[in-house]
Amino acid sequence: MDSILAESTPTSAIELRHVTKRYGDTVALDDVSMTIEPGEFFCLLGPSGCGKTTTLNLIGGFIPMSSGELRIEGRMVNDLPPHKRNVNTVFQNYALFPHMTVAQNIAFGLRMEKLPAAEITSRTGEYLELVGLAGFDKRLPSEMSGGQQQRVALARALAKRPAVLLLDEPLGALDLKLRKHMQTELSRIHRQVGTTFVFVTHDQEEALSMATRIAIMSGGNVMQTGTPREVYDHPAGRFVANFVGETNFIAGTVTMEDGRRVFAIPGRGRVAAPTGSTDGPATVMVRPEYVRLRPVDEPAADPGISGRIVNVAFLGDHTRLTVSTDAGDIVSVRPHATNVRSTHLEEDLGQEVCVWWPADDAALIAD
Amino acid sequence: MTSETAGGADQAPLAGSAPGVRARLGRAVPFVPGFLMLAFLFLIPMAIMFVFSLWRTNSDFNVVADWNLNNYARFFNQPVYLRTFAKTLVMGTAVTAAGLALALPFNYFLVRYVSRGLQRAVLLAVIVPFWTSYLLRVYAWQAILGETGALNQFLMGIGLIKEPTTLLVYNDTGVFIVLIYVYFPFAALALYAALEKFDFTQLNAAQDLGARPDQAFRYILVPQIRTGIITACIFVFIPILGEFLTPTLVGGAEGNLIANLVVNFFRQSQIPEGSALAIVIAAFVTIVLIIFRRSLRVEDVVTRG
Repeated sequence: MDSILAESTPTSAIELRHVTKRYGDTVALDDVSMTIEPGEFFCLLGPSGCGKTTTLNLIGGFIPMSSGELRIEGRMVNDLPPHKRNVNTVFQNYALFPHMTVAQNIAFGLRMEKLPAAEITSRTGEYLELVGLAGFDKRLPSEMSGGQQQRVALARALAKRPAVLLLDEPLGALDLKLRKHMQTELSRIHRQVGTTFVFVTHDQEEALSMATRIAIMSGGNVMQTGTPREVYDHPAGRFVANFVGETNFIAGTVTMEDGRRVFAIPGRGRVAAPTGSTDGPATVMVRPEYVRLRPVDEPAADPGISGRIVNVAFLGDHTRLTVSTDAGDIVSVRPHATNVRSTHLEEDLGQEVCVWWPADDAALIAD
Repeated sequence: MTSETAGGADQAPLAGSAPGVRARLGRAVPFVPGFLMLAFLFLIPMAIMFVFSLWRTNSDFNVVADWNLNNYARFFNQPVYLRTFAKTLVMGTAVTAAGLALALPFNYFLVRYVSRGLQRAVLLAVIVPFWTSYLLRVYAWQAILGETGALNQFLMGIGLIKEPTTLLVYNDTGVFIVLIYVYFPFAALALYAALEKFDFTQLNAAQDLGARPDQAFRYILVPQIRTGIITACIFVFIPILGEFLTPTLVGGAEGNLIANLVVNFFRQSQIPEGSALAIVIAAFVTIVLIIFRRSLRVEDVVTRG
């Protein structure tokens, strides 16, 4: 009882309670509950068809939900049409009005609110300034680049001073360089206006770099909610581990050998088991940046997993090595730390190496 | 263009020189067939009609080259002409409005909720009637609305009426119904072209920004399909000013439109009188087109910008 009361404190920006959305027989959202606090940069992350856009459309009011309860700033809005909700959306294709200038686009929402003309003018200017488009007010959307249109869409939605700003994959249409730049910009704007942002993306890097919290969705369910570090370092399951960042999954058995608990793969490979693991078949996940390599003849406490380097990809700031072992291919990533003038090659294609990792850089994962 | 620049800047002052003239003639060649067609099929007949309109029919029903403006004066002096003309304008406006009122929702649902393949099929169904002659289609309506027509038999069959009704035929209502049927495809096709390009997420965006659905429609959709709406108006309204077959077949005694009066004059060999009335209609159409065209231009500037 207490916990329910605590959850329903009106301070939450968005609250979904047991929300289900069905399209005919297909369940797009399956009993989803989540709470988004004011000022958060909350990211809905998942592959296409996971229900993230459905969630956003439900909050925006564009589709009705099948069951459950949706609250915005504590107020039940299940039956409220979009134009009466205190949320605004940046659409995936921006949905700018092509027959209006930039200033008219931004002013449209304010005109609908019937604000005084002077207030509309000053606010339009203010938000153009915020998104870095001061002086562009007389342009038409068709005269602007994709990145600029994106900013107009952002200003148009923010000018309404909504409780929550919804962003539906707004960076999807931009090229890589612009996308990186806009990520930084979005973070700045979020800090500056302090509004709650709810951001939908399928790009895990985008989510990790901008979000204060991430909800990872799959098949209409929320698999895990947490800060970027939490979901990266402590993924709740194989799906999350796989979707957020690159991961090696290695199947084997945890056994006691010589008084120590080790993780054994088929064959002779052994590495120290993560603390707290219990005996029996298990799968560990280890991020490529934690996977280390050493020469096969170097003495060590654990035998490690021997294998052969089958691929070396130099990627500038890091090198990605693929090692073929009895436990399958294991990917190792190492930062580019060598001196530029050094001619010393650390690893080579075809070289026999020993793969290992410190026990607690790996985690046992439920299947 | 090329030949002009190739002529060199030093030759520019001699614009009337032989190479310049030849280049200009060369550029005019592609327009010759079109110009000849327009001249023989449009300009010359119009000129002949205009000349006739200034002549007179004598008591033996022969055209006499007696220059006068009486044929035009009659239009303004005799109430029947002005009244019929006014009625034609009302009819044209009503049919245009009804055509738009039907075509707009029709296209909205077609474009927004129907798959592309099916859209094509539906549009084809809209166009199919054009494969039969206009006359046949109006006769068909006579068979539907007439005294012994399908509609009356159906209504009597289900016992709704006892006597055949002529409420819907041989009067202005009949003309109105049939004209809507005849011109709906024009309105539908003109609006389809405009709506097809419209991005409907804009309506979501408008509502998201606080617009009621009717405001989103008015401020976002309508301005962007204005070209289509105006085109539809032109396609429907202008031809109705020349409609005489539908009023003849389903309009009965009271259903005459202005073009019927023109036809009557020509049937009675009153060629000058008929020509004058036709010229008045043509002049009016020209004025309407100029007005429409101006609003089209403004629209072009705004959308292309």
